[in-house]
Amino acid sequence: MKQIMKKQKIGIAIILVIILVGIAITLTVGFNFDLRWEATQKIELYLAKEFAISDIKQIVQQVIPNQAIRIQKVEVYEDTVSILAKEITEEQKQEIVTKINETYGTQLSAENIPMTSIPHTRGRDLVKPYILPFTIVTVIILGYMAVRYRKLGAVKIVSKVAIISILAQAVLFSILAITRIPVGRLTIPMVILVYLFILMVLTTQYEKQLKAKKEENK
Amino acid sequence: MRKIKILTIILAIVLVTMVAFWGIYVPTQNRMENKVEGYSYAMDLKGSRNIRLKVDDSSKTIIKDKEGKEVENSQNLTEEEIAEKGYTKEEIPYNTQEVKKEENYKQVKKIIEQRLKQMGVNNYIIKLDGQAGDIVVEIPENATTDAIVSNLGTTGKFEIIDSQTNEVLMDNKDIQLANVMYGSDSSTTTQSGTMVYLNIEFTKEGTKKLEDISNQYRKTENSEGVKNTDNTENTENTEETQNTETTEKKITMKIDDQEIMSTSFDETLKTGKLQLSIGSSTTDTTTLQGYVAQATNMAIVLDNGKMPVKYQIQENKYIASDITSDELQMVVYIMIGIIAISFILLMIKYRFMGILGAISYIGFTALFLLLIRYANVSLSIEGILGIAIILILNNLFINQLFGKLKKHKIDERIVKNKVKETYQEFFIKIVPICIAVIIFCFMQWEPISSFGMVMFWGIALMAIYHFIITNNLLKIKASK
Repeated sequence: MKQIMKKQKIGIAIILVIILVGIAITLTVGFNFDLRWEATQKIELYLAKEFAISDIKQIVQQVIPNQAIRIQKVEVYEDTVSILAKEITEEQKQEIVTKINETYGTQLSAENIPMTSIPHTRGRDLVKPYILPFTIVTVIILGYMAVRYRKLGAVKIVSKVAIISILAQAVLFSILAITRIPVGRLTIPMVILVYLFILMVLTTQYEKQLKAKKEENK
Repeated sequence: MRKIKILTIILAIVLVTMVAFWGIYVPTQNRMENKVEGYSYAMDLKGSRNIRLKVDDSSKTIIKDKEGKEVENSQNLTEEEIAEKGYTKEEIPYNTQEVKKEENYKQVKKIIEQRLKQMGVNNYIIKLDGQAGDIVVEIPENATTDAIVSNLGTTGKFEIIDSQTNEVLMDNKDIQLANVMYGSDSSTTTQSGTMVYLNIEFTKEGTKKLEDISNQYRKTENSEGVKNTDNTENTENTEETQNTETTEKKITMKIDDQEIMSTSFDETLKTGKLQLSIGSSTTDTTTLQGYVAQATNMAIVLDNGKMPVKYQIQENKYIASDITSDELQMVVYIMIGIIAISFILLMIKYRFMGILGAISYIGFTALFLLLIRYANVSLSIEGILGIAIILILNNLFINQLFGKLKKHKIDERIVKNKVKETYQEFFIKIVPICIAVIIFCFMQWEPISSFGMVMFWGIALMAIYHFIITNNLLKIKASK
């Protein structure tokens, strides 16, 4: 028993350290946002022919190494490529155009290709659409748990589920902040996964406790 | 007999699996066409329409008279006429320096967001450049996208002005709400159709203004010794020698400086509501839908107020997703790999029962993927996560059931009891997940509703499928 208590204490300490470090990094450096949400610069090149994204990616990575880039096909004919990076200098633009001209036999001129700036997306705008669904779901689930596991102590169960769910999400975001994993299109799926996993684990645990309690009462 | 029954079920599963993974190809116009419904993808997998709204830096030319008043209908005036009459030309920017500030840009962003919500856009990204005021909007590409785009660049300036003096009588501040109403048209005796109305409801102050205006701008008739005069304007009654003169002061309603209508009132409006008919009465559904769309767009623009800054659409392009089909295939291969490993483990652990479990699992996966397609679920990344979770839950269910059966020498009664027991234990454990899934299904945000719908169909199928297929496979195996 003492061993378990000790292990639990170590676990709680690790979780708290992760959360504290995560908060510190978030407040100082912030999250590492995916290029999709960051302020970027974009150039669009009309190639007038079909192309493979992987080929363009290779060219752009040669010119802009060690930087996240985003390559997309534009319009239904897919003969125009959109290249996005956090920063593209005029020289880099020139080099990309030259290399693409060499590869695809096009005669594009860098001077005629404008570079547009795309503003960043605010973090709160990303989170906003999910606040209402998760709030409604959490309130109803807590209500269900309070009724279902009332014999185990409704208040204790509700507070435990709420705290563990919040802590799990805090740990997830702290890990994202510490490891610099980009916050992007996979973040919400991760949040959902952690949320449902915690619910499943807690429900399994409480079902066992409830069963044991019922047998005890018999 | 037992073998035949098992083989029949296995063949049915193989058939469904082939349909789900390869499709049904039928020759159509000299080519083979897959008749099985394809997946419907959400914005993150399909791509989006990217719209760049830029602060309008252009100016409009207005002509002023000697007193400094704007001259109406000055478009046709030549340079000589302007000079002759002593008029002056002035270039007025649509957006003055005073309005070009971050606070106003944020207000525009908020209005755009509200418009998108009201237009039923269930997934969008809005990016604002606080300095330059540029706004980049990403919305899903579908049949309604063009109509939505046309609404984004609209300023939403509403004005009721005096047709002669151009005096602004009412504007956006007076509008409380705008919506669309329908009514049957009883004016025609031959065929009654449906009329679409743009209903504008005014604020308390606006109601008072409307009452005053409708009183002031009423049709008035000046007639002398009238007998049986016709009430229609500009009508001369030939039966009698009397003349009826209809004099009217008219108002002009403008939206975004475009004249919508010019009219006078038949009666004093005291209700604070103004119903404008859009198009004419019709029974044709397509025409009616067009009128409704037109009225809805106008209502949405008016309902959300006027943008403090005038914008113009600088870019309007469909941009494909950066998640390529190769990357999606990679995800599918990883999932297949994990499932294959789980099959091997299942077969090692439960031998022949494990093989039946694996076959049942394959059938479930095939049916589930077909169901998603025919239930018209939009697949987003969250939806793909939903598929993965369902496959994991299905694995847990089979393992739980087989784990219970392994402890016994199975017969039909044991199978029945253990299936019942597993159903009770498993589904009670996932009640919170079911609650979340049902609520997510009703959310008007595509990524979350996609996840909810995928999970909903997955759980529902799991409940039905195992009762029919896995249960029967095990019963047949247990039967002597």
